Amino acid sequence: MTTTTTLRPGRRTPDSHGYPTRSYDLVKEFVLALGLMTALSLVLAGIFSSPDDPSITMSGWAKADPADVVATAAGELAGTTTSATYGAPYNHASEGQSVLGLQLQKWGGVGVPVDSADLVLQPLRGVTGDPRTSLALAAWDALPASAQTAAATAYADALAKAPDGDPAQVPAGRYGPLPAMTAAFLRLAQGGGLEGSLTSSGTFYGGDQTRSMLLLSDGAYLEDTAVADHLGGDQWGMMNEVGNYPGQPWMWLYTFWYQVKPFSTSENADAQVWMLMMGLTLALILLPWIPGLRSIPRWIPVHRLIWREHYRRQRT
Amino acid sequence: MDSVFDAGKYVSWGVVSISLTNLLVILAMVVIFVLALVIPFPHDHESPSDGGDA
Amino acid sequence: MSTAPPDTGGGTWTAGLRDRLSRTVPADQLLPDRQPAYVASWIYVFGVLTLAGLIVVVGSGLVLSFGGAIWWHTSSLGHFVNSVHLWSVELFFACMVIHLWGKFWMAAWRGHRGLTWVTGVVAFVASIGAAFTGYLTQSNFDSQWISGEAKDGINSIGVGSWFNVLNPGQMLMWHIVLLPLAVGVIAVLHILMVRRHGVVPPLGDEEVSS
Repeated sequence: MTTTTTLRPGRRTPDSHGYPTRSYDLVKEFVLALGLMTALSLVLAGIFSSPDDPSITMSGWAKADPADVVATAAGELAGTTTSATYGAPYNHASEGQSVLGLQLQKWGGVGVPVDSADLVLQPLRGVTGDPRTSLALAAWDALPASAQTAAATAYADALAKAPDGDPAQVPAGRYGPLPAMTAAFLRLAQGGGLEGSLTSSGTFYGGDQTRSMLLLSDGAYLEDTAVADHLGGDQWGMMNEVGNYPGQPWMWLYTFWYQVKPFSTSENADAQVWMLMMGLTLALILLPWIPGLRSIPRWIPVHRLIWREHYRRQRT
Repeated sequence: MDSVFDAGKYVSWGVVSISLTNLLVILAMVVIFVLALVIPFPHDHESPSDGGDA
Repeated sequence: MSTAPPDTGGGTWTAGLRDRLSRTVPADQLLPDRQPAYVASWIYVFGVLTLAGLIVVVGSGLVLSFGGAIWWHTSSLGHFVNSVHLWSVELFFACMVIHLWGKFWMAAWRGHRGLTWVTGVVAFVASIGAAFTGYLTQSNFDSQWISGEAKDGINSIGVGSWFNVLNPGQMLMWHIVLLPLAVGVIAVLHILMVRRHGVVPPLGDEEVSS
């Protein structure tokens, strides 16, 4: 069967079946390859193992950085955290990112609705036998929405100005029940009562960490830990792993764009980088049909090394 | 609690910052690629030229 | 050419499918024991090394499945198997990329082999997705950080409502069911195409027609 094709007028790649052949044991080659890859994997695993940095628990966060937990709780109630102002798929608070005029984030819709204030209120409402918490919640519920926001915002601002964000050093002010609520939230977290509260409360099995992760991501501790491990977005973090373990070197081009302008300072960086990488991926897929790019192997003759025996035989 | 000592060794050059491990992985790949091109492939089962395989 | 003449056996669907399959790749070309003499370079072994690497990845993943998603945190055997899984993934990607470099410099898409190239790149992209969901499935600090970061990219293009990287149950199933199936099917198609068209002849051997 002839499988020649016309590259361009006048040039056809010959049928590979028309060439001189030699004996070759494909199955033996495969078995050897399988043995080699298995052996290499076992040896590397035995020598280097794999990293397993434990998850940041809510209580771990609360004990390591209590000021961050208090500030995050205040921010959720004030509606100023990242999740509270995110937009789709969590809420309608923002238009989200766009690229080439396409409002893709918004068009995706709010398919994973999350009320950021509820990340604090729901666990607090589950607390029993603590009059301080009950009173603070009652005071919060008695306030009109605008007063709630004003009190929470005032407290969040005051925390930001306090030395080390320490709630104990916040000057007196009009914070309503916020100091009591956030202190109760911190107590709950430190005591382990927040684990699972946002994921399996009322359902037992859980399995979806969305709300817990959004709360954790709204704080600074998660990112501080990641940046200390060189995993931050502007540290080529997408390529990296904790410690000295190999990461994902194949992500080099994806993360590269985040390191340079205009993406490094763009509010739409995620959507822009995604679109750019999809375009480049499409170009790689369609390479055989892209004039110029598909001719690079002819212009830079690396192939003369690969097929040197064949060319030598042709000349003799 | 993670500390700064959990970060591995990194090599920086201008905007580029790469972990030493990742750099070694990439360099090893390039070296292996070049070796694969230049090291002769054994061909001691070559049969006399025949007109081709079915 | 040694394929038997097609036996359409009364036009049955079975005979029709059999004929279609044997026309796509004749039986003696599925596992030939001869190859063109120009296939004589170590660069050619990286395709089979990639395939072998994939099998070690899937095999170590299978063993992890016996213990469950969090087995490796509490068992030293489980941790070792996880390490095998991690390192086989690194080896798999390394061999796949070297294979890609080789095929590029050979312009291996020539001679009706464009689809072979396409399935190769798609397999690469699908593998990246599979690896990504794997990192999300570690149930440790890495998973927390990677999911927190990745959600922004995926949400920014409007996909976050359906593909929720913060949902480990969903990510686990993409990682152990959907994406391995996708990578496997694409890899099989890729290899079938190599068998169908044969290894691409050397650059410069093109016949010039008048």
